[in-house]
Amino acid sequence: MTTVHTPEPILQVHRLTKTFAGFQALNGVDFSVTEGEVVVVIGPSGSGKSTLVRCVHQLETIDGGSIHLDGELLGYEHHRSGVRPLAPRAVAAQRRRIGMVFQQFNLFPHWTILENVVRPHRMSHGVGAAEAEQRARLLLRQVGLEHKADAHPRELSGGQQQRVAIARALAPAPRIMLFDEPTSALDPELVDEVLAVLRDVARSGVTMVVVTHEMEFARQMGDRVVFMDAGRVVEQGTADEIFNHPKSDRLKAFLSRFRAQGSRPGDTAPAAPDAAASAPTEPTAADRMQPAAARAGRRSA
Amino acid sequence: MSSSSLMDARADGASAPRGTAPQAPVDVAAAHGRPHPWRWVLSAVLLLVAAGLAVFFAGNPNFQWDVVAEYLFYPTVLKGLAVSVALAVVAMVIGTALGTVLALAQMAEFAPARWASKAFVGVFRSIPPLVQLIFWFNLGFLLPKIELGLPFGPAFASWNTTDLITPLTAAIIGLSLHEAAYMAEIIRSGLTSVTSGQHDAAKAAGFTPAQTFFGIVAPQAMRVILPPFGNQFIATVKGTSLVSVIAMSDLLFSVQAIADRTYQVVPMLIVACLWYLVVVTVLTYFQRILERRYGRGYDAAPAKRAGIPFSPRKKAAK
Repeated sequence: MTTVHTPEPILQVHRLTKTFAGFQALNGVDFSVTEGEVVVVIGPSGSGKSTLVRCVHQLETIDGGSIHLDGELLGYEHHRSGVRPLAPRAVAAQRRRIGMVFQQFNLFPHWTILENVVRPHRMSHGVGAAEAEQRARLLLRQVGLEHKADAHPRELSGGQQQRVAIARALAPAPRIMLFDEPTSALDPELVDEVLAVLRDVARSGVTMVVVTHEMEFARQMGDRVVFMDAGRVVEQGTADEIFNHPKSDRLKAFLSRFRAQGSRPGDTAPAAPDAAASAPTEPTAADRMQPAAARAGRRSA
Repeated sequence: MSSSSLMDARADGASAPRGTAPQAPVDVAAAHGRPHPWRWVLSAVLLLVAAGLAVFFAGNPNFQWDVVAEYLFYPTVLKGLAVSVALAVVAMVIGTALGTVLALAQMAEFAPARWASKAFVGVFRSIPPLVQLIFWFNLGFLLPKIELGLPFGPAFASWNTTDLITPLTAAIIGLSLHEAAYMAEIIRSGLTSVTSGQHDAAKAAGFTPAQTFFGIVAPQAMRVILPPFGNQFIATVKGTSLVSVIAMSDLLFSVQAIADRTYQVVPMLIVACLWYLVVVTVLTYFQRILERRYGRGYDAAPAKRAGIPFSPRKKAAK
């Protein structure tokens, strides 16, 4: 059933389907991630990309297909009667191998920043207090927020909260990190600080799936870019293939929409009415034309 | 202020400024308050009422303040007070525990659990606590024997209801069930106030359902639960006075017993009122402390934390 790639994938999603009250959010998604890979998922709103990562983390029950992490079926177990859902405690145990960062940060408001990073690590993984705090302080330093350790989430900006959320998810050193539009809820001027942390995480070799609208980030950091539309993976490949040589009409239309929004001084291409037909040939055409994009010229090194 | 006066002000400012020179800088830091003549009137009225009350309380000999003072710390009265407070605490503890179960049942996926909980809350919220107390006290008429065993099967143990149902047990059962029905609603509203994002984050952190409830949902729900919980506790303290009708020696029953003996009804009622006032005031104080304690992370000024008793010691940051 599982197709074996080389190297062996960490995460394997097979014909995943998910319906919300009659809306087919996922319509047979096949998707896999190998160790150390940074996969960026792009696509229009409602294409199912957020639902995909939420299903992988079992925050949504899936209607069909299967998800395997390191070869282990997620959320279900084989039983003499066939396959049945796992007990909640067993689901929790599986989730501990996956880290997740949400669009709305979802820090625990009644805990301090340090507690937000330490406690999940301790409670879920049985790590000692000293070890967990040491790790938390190291991670907070890496995201530049060690000085906020004793503050509460409400006292932080959105960008700072998201950086803490990343540290929280990284604390138990999960097998794979899922990012569900980590910058979409941020004010434009706060997007960069979070993207900078994401780049650091990506460079450190963590396996990542990033759902985002930040095309510049996708281009720079994506080992592989997956384009989703209408609940399916329409096209995937290297950043160069996706952004410079899109094959499907839907991807071309999607990329041209970003181009059409563009107002960058150097961008001479006028937004043609039939923008769908004209494939963007320049990488800059795919940039997200936000203030962030102008400052996103950091080298991916 | 009407819109026409706003228009006037703008017209004035644009064409012919009065008083000061047009470009004169204004610093509102030097502004003084507007006059509030009605506040003076209200102050005078309040003063008059206060003076009238003072004269009434001090001047009316029927209050018999000397008798009040004599019986305020009378052993029987203090015992009655202890019974009232203990009864309120027991009813709240049982009511809160049962109410939590009922609230969780109402939020359960399993429909029969929801129906059972709704039926319980519906019934016990509808029956006045006084009626319940009398009913439980007279349970023997309905159910002469209470048996422990399998339904429709053999009994392992059996008691006479009249032996089991004393004024104390009737009071505890009646008040607890009444409180449970109310607490179920209060707790449910608190639990549902925790956002789905928090549930997602708790799951994502790998918390078990129990860890999610006790670590994430319950502490955040406390913020919503505490104010109505405090009101409920206060209502229960006062509600314990109902048990005097089933001859339970609470505060009210104790002062009435003395009044029956000495015919000093008014001063004995004053004694009871003073003690209820003291207990409720103390409860209100603790309610405020708890509200601030669970408001942590929500207050605008976290520095205030330092002044809150019972807040956990801050770990020394190295």
